[in-house]
Amino acid sequence: MIYLDNAATTAISPKVMDVLKESMDSDFANPGTIYSIGLDAKKKVERAKQDIVSALNIPPTHKIVFTSGGTEANNLFIKGFCFSDKKVAYLGLEHPSILEPLAYLGSLGNNPHSLLEYQTEGRLDLKQASVLTKSQSQLLCLSHVNNELGTVNDPVSVFVTLHINSPDTRLFMDGVQAVSSMKISSKMWPGLAAYSLSGHKIHGPKGIGLLVYDSKLSITPIIHGGRQQDGVRSGTLPVPLIRAMARAIVLAVERIDEMQDHFNFLNNRLVQGLCELNDQLPELDIRFNSLVTDDLQKQSPSIVNFSFAPVEGEVLLHHLEEKNIFVGLGSACSASSKKPSKILTGIGLSEEEARCSLRLSFSGNNTIEDVDLFLKEFSIAYQGLYPTFRE
Amino acid sequence: MNTKTLLIRYDEIGLKGRNRRHFENQLVSNIRYALRDIKNIKIDKIHGRILGRVDFTDAEKCTSRLTQIPGIASISIGNSMEPDFDKIAQLGISLIQSKLQVLGKLKFCVRTRRSNKSFPFTSKEFDFEVGSRIMEALSSNGLSVDINHADFVLEVEIGPQKTIVFDNRVSGLSGLPVGSSGQVLSLLSGGIDSPVSTFKLINRGCRVHSVFFDNRTFLGRGGYDKVVRLAHTLNRFQGGGKLYVISFQAIQVAIRDHCTDSNRVVLYRRMMYRIAHALAELKNYQGLVTGESVGQVASQTLKNLMAVSCVVPMSILRPLIGMNKQEIITHAKQIGTYDISIEPQPDCCSVFMPNHPGTSCKIKYLEADERLYPWEELMSSALDSMETIDLDDLD
Repeated sequence: MIYLDNAATTAISPKVMDVLKESMDSDFANPGTIYSIGLDAKKKVERAKQDIVSALNIPPTHKIVFTSGGTEANNLFIKGFCFSDKKVAYLGLEHPSILEPLAYLGSLGNNPHSLLEYQTEGRLDLKQASVLTKSQSQLLCLSHVNNELGTVNDPVSVFVTLHINSPDTRLFMDGVQAVSSMKISSKMWPGLAAYSLSGHKIHGPKGIGLLVYDSKLSITPIIHGGRQQDGVRSGTLPVPLIRAMARAIVLAVERIDEMQDHFNFLNNRLVQGLCELNDQLPELDIRFNSLVTDDLQKQSPSIVNFSFAPVEGEVLLHHLEEKNIFVGLGSACSASSKKPSKILTGIGLSEEEARCSLRLSFSGNNTIEDVDLFLKEFSIAYQGLYPTFRE
Repeated sequence: MNTKTLLIRYDEIGLKGRNRRHFENQLVSNIRYALRDIKNIKIDKIHGRILGRVDFTDAEKCTSRLTQIPGIASISIGNSMEPDFDKIAQLGISLIQSKLQVLGKLKFCVRTRRSNKSFPFTSKEFDFEVGSRIMEALSSNGLSVDINHADFVLEVEIGPQKTIVFDNRVSGLSGLPVGSSGQVLSLLSGGIDSPVSTFKLINRGCRVHSVFFDNRTFLGRGGYDKVVRLAHTLNRFQGGGKLYVISFQAIQVAIRDHCTDSNRVVLYRRMMYRIAHALAELKNYQGLVTGESVGQVASQTLKNLMAVSCVVPMSILRPLIGMNKQEIITHAKQIGTYDISIEPQPDCCSVFMPNHPGTSCKIKYLEADERLYPWEELMSSALDSMETIDLDDLD
């Protein structure tokens, strides 16, 4: 099997699995109890939290709250911080776990302010930041790395710009796609009101994520119960999942230089191979939707998104599936409609172009042979399908 | 052993003439098969009814399964007891009380059958004695008597050896027992209609096998997984069903690439009918079942139904032909296929759908289109690569 859809989820790493198994076996006690085995479990959670703090350079000004994943972390901050009257701005190219909570706030009368007209290459055009002052936005929501395009909003640059042009606007970033391919610098935290992460995008388990937030801020909980985690997020802490995610974060950070080189290598081979196919096949017209650049300030090398009208991405995906090659759609359709997501149309593609696209996303498990085999099978499938789609 | 009596009633079979025994025997055989894993169960056919004796702990489970067997009109769970007014009334109170609590008010009556004519009270006297005791206890809680439109009927049978008091009747599917009407082949898709049409034929006593036309290279395996679940759900009503999976992509691509756009949908369906017919002939099935309903979509106009029917010399059974969509949806919800059918799944890639499907395709033009691609060769190859799933194996 060749798996090239690591932005959707990643295979759990053997080292993480060891922690998970050991912890499932031994850490059954409730870390909220006051007898010795509960206190031991609590200590392990604190230790895991400390490991995360060290790995991500999180300063003492910020707190960690564990959630069930990235979606919950995004919901918790947007609803918990903005409910019900704080003005929010967003780019309009974010993941549904940001767009939908914002739409929910809108349904309550607090309409978010879309900055889509100020996007350039899938990022917020920082020259236009003064618009935030005019709209009196108190929060700006952005993806650190866009989940479909891989484009980067650099937290430090965004914060510096905000500081100068709109000092009352705080910054919230969805970091779910970032930790596997971006260096998390200590410089970014002072500018961040909050930042979300997910375990399963970095070879950790599903069902666990976290929100890092500025401890000066008051967050209204969305899950009420036994007041665990200072009452911000109630629910018994899943010790094995937390420990496993901590391990996954530490491993991701330890290997980040090596991974960036590896992703660049795979990315260059893929882009070059697609360009060669484009030259060889008269009927193929590749358009790169993600940026073709080595500039990590602009583009994550782990995601490549490209279009190839008139062949539908979904059909090509299934043809590749027959060859045991698994890739992502360039533009994920929502479960209830056939319309492509707003990301590719948001950067100017037509709906047809958005449908005729694929997203490949790498992990450390991928090899150059995977990319070469993908290119070979993509070429065969495209040539086979082209006559059927040509009108 | 503390046992309970299951009284299993049938309706339509009772209208049969000299071949009634054939239907009764088939139903008893189906009941025995459905309850084969229940220990110490005894099923007997007595005087136009079927009686079961089961351990009291299994009675509810058996009743629930019997509601899924075509041919059964209703089932009641009975308790053997002394023919004592007070004790019977006490049991009646306990059975009614739980329902009364949920519903708030309830109309009831007592119906006694007395085969032991030496019993010192008439049936009507017995009804009155038990009924009045129950009313005395529960009338202030919302219970009333209604002999003709009762929500709850407490049935009492006074026999020579024992008296049995039955809980309210649980409705069955009615219809005819599977196996009494032969075997047919249903064209099953992941939609709402074809599972309902399949069920309709099962409920008329047919054992229904299904064929699915799969295009996973274009649409993915999701459609296949969904149809397997639908077929498995439907097989619960019959047992012994098979699902045949035909790889259809080569045929769809050939039609897409060679034939007139507006004829495409009818051409796809003509190929499905031909393949289903060949399969039915091979397996000795006696008809094809489809979920078509007049005018629902372009391929289901009267002219297009004719244009697809004429390619197969076999009965085409269309139990939904005169039903509207809402009626079909109601049926689908009742048989438990609706929630699976509406799961989002591409069922026809846009590349295969013409912009303007013809509503009145002419047979001579369809035949002309079919001369443009090697349909016989493609059909033969599709049948050769067919996958067969024994649905009982999925239980």
